[in-house]
Amino acid sequence: MYDKHILTDEGCRSVWENGKKVGYAVNLTINYYRGLPLCCVDQISLEVDGQPVDPNTMYLQHQGREYHYPDIFTDDFPTDFYWLFGEKLRVVVRQDGGIDQGRHHVRLTLGTRRSYTPTMIDVCEKVLTFA
Amino acid sequence: MKTDHDIKLGVSLYSYQDNYYFKKHDLEGCIAAVAGSGAEGFEIFPESMIPEWPYISDRFIDWFNGIKIRYNLECVCVDHFSDTRMWKNRNLTDDELFERSVLYIKAAAKLGASAIRLLHEEHLGSVNFFNRDYHLVNAEIAERLLPVCAEYNVMMALECHAPTTIDDPCHEPYLEAAERLGLPFVGLQADFSSYEYCVSSADIGMYTRRGGTAELLNFFRDSQREAYFNGRPFVYDDIEPTIEKMKPNEVDRQFLAFHTRRRSSMPASYDVLRDYASKLVYIHGKFYDIDETGQVDNIDYPKVMQALVDGGYKGYICSEFEGNRRMNDAGWCDEIEYVRKHQELMRKCLGR
Repeated sequence: MYDKHILTDEGCRSVWENGKKVGYAVNLTINYYRGLPLCCVDQISLEVDGQPVDPNTMYLQHQGREYHYPDIFTDDFPTDFYWLFGEKLRVVVRQDGGIDQGRHHVRLTLGTRRSYTPTMIDVCEKVLTFA
Repeated sequence: MKTDHDIKLGVSLYSYQDNYYFKKHDLEGCIAAVAGSGAEGFEIFPESMIPEWPYISDRFIDWFNGIKIRYNLECVCVDHFSDTRMWKNRNLTDDELFERSVLYIKAAAKLGASAIRLLHEEHLGSVNFFNRDYHLVNAEIAERLLPVCAEYNVMMALECHAPTTIDDPCHEPYLEAAERLGLPFVGLQADFSSYEYCVSSADIGMYTRRGGTAELLNFFRDSQREAYFNGRPFVYDDIEPTIEKMKPNEVDRQFLAFHTRRRSSMPASYDVLRDYASKLVYIHGKFYDIDETGQVDNIDYPKVMQALVDGGYKGYICSEFEGNRRMNDAGWCDEIEYVRKHQELMRKCLGR
């Protein structure tokens, strides 16, 4: 379905604060034919240049809100906050020094829970250029 | 374009999902594509194309009503989902599933649609296909929804999807509840997936690109077609020795496992479709690919459509193009062109 497209090449760059790199961002689109509440995300795992990204450093941004990635797994996480179909979910990895400008190999594993089928896990790997 | 035909043609916006996902068209663009295809109505997936879902504002409704006038179309159906597993720590209770379903009924009424496609427990048949330990909207919950449907004048269309058929007894408890309560707000929805006589070439292409053996996959499909056009069921046992001689690889095995769940198969009966036609409340005109002669390459549309005409079906048939998800790994899939051809085919079958 969308497994080849869930890791987009849009908006890949370091995130800066006060003249310093404090992290980097990638943008994902959903692996399903409709939007899902964010609480239906079972897994977002990133590997950059073969190194797994610590999930505790990941923040999700969508529709003007930001959630620390581990928070979406809590039982009382808002259930009606949707990851919209076709819209980008921005993942910011907080990491001092950000990411070196240029091309990096990124591997995304995305698992979403559906209403009537088992959790779908898709893997998408790309070489992306970070600004 | 609105008509006074008994059988009306529409398009499920599901058909244009790649155009929306990849931002070639927004909701209005997809609706314009429906109008351009010559259809007179459309079906909408609220979680796909209404960003405000599940709370739809009056402002959106005002815009939506304007759009319907601009393109001279009606919104025919809203797709209901049973998000039983939306919470991480537990499944929704029946009360919560009921409440979520009420949202869809109210949304349909607001959007001016007279039906919701109900994602019900028997959607994929009475066999527990995915080893589910949870249920979707079942006959008991549907019964509780009937008075709500009556209040909002919205029909629950029970999608009878392959491997089920419109005469599968698994749909009876829903219809009996409506009968018992005197609330005729649930009815059968045919889905043309029940009338597939062979695997679509869209599937062959997808499995071939994944590493399947084109010769083997096409032999399988050709055998299914030969059986259908000779008026006999396709029996896998007849070709299994030949298939095994072709040494299926892992991808071929996945394909075979999925497509030989029933060792013997043939499309659902056209006679039964004719007999049920006048009772059906809605129809999904499913298709995956269209061949060079303009025919759907695995469903006998002329026969299916004739059965609906002969049986006196009154209502919508919405194009439901599902080739996109089988083709878009190879590049852009021209959904708009597929739907245009599909509408043309259905009009031709209806003598229009």
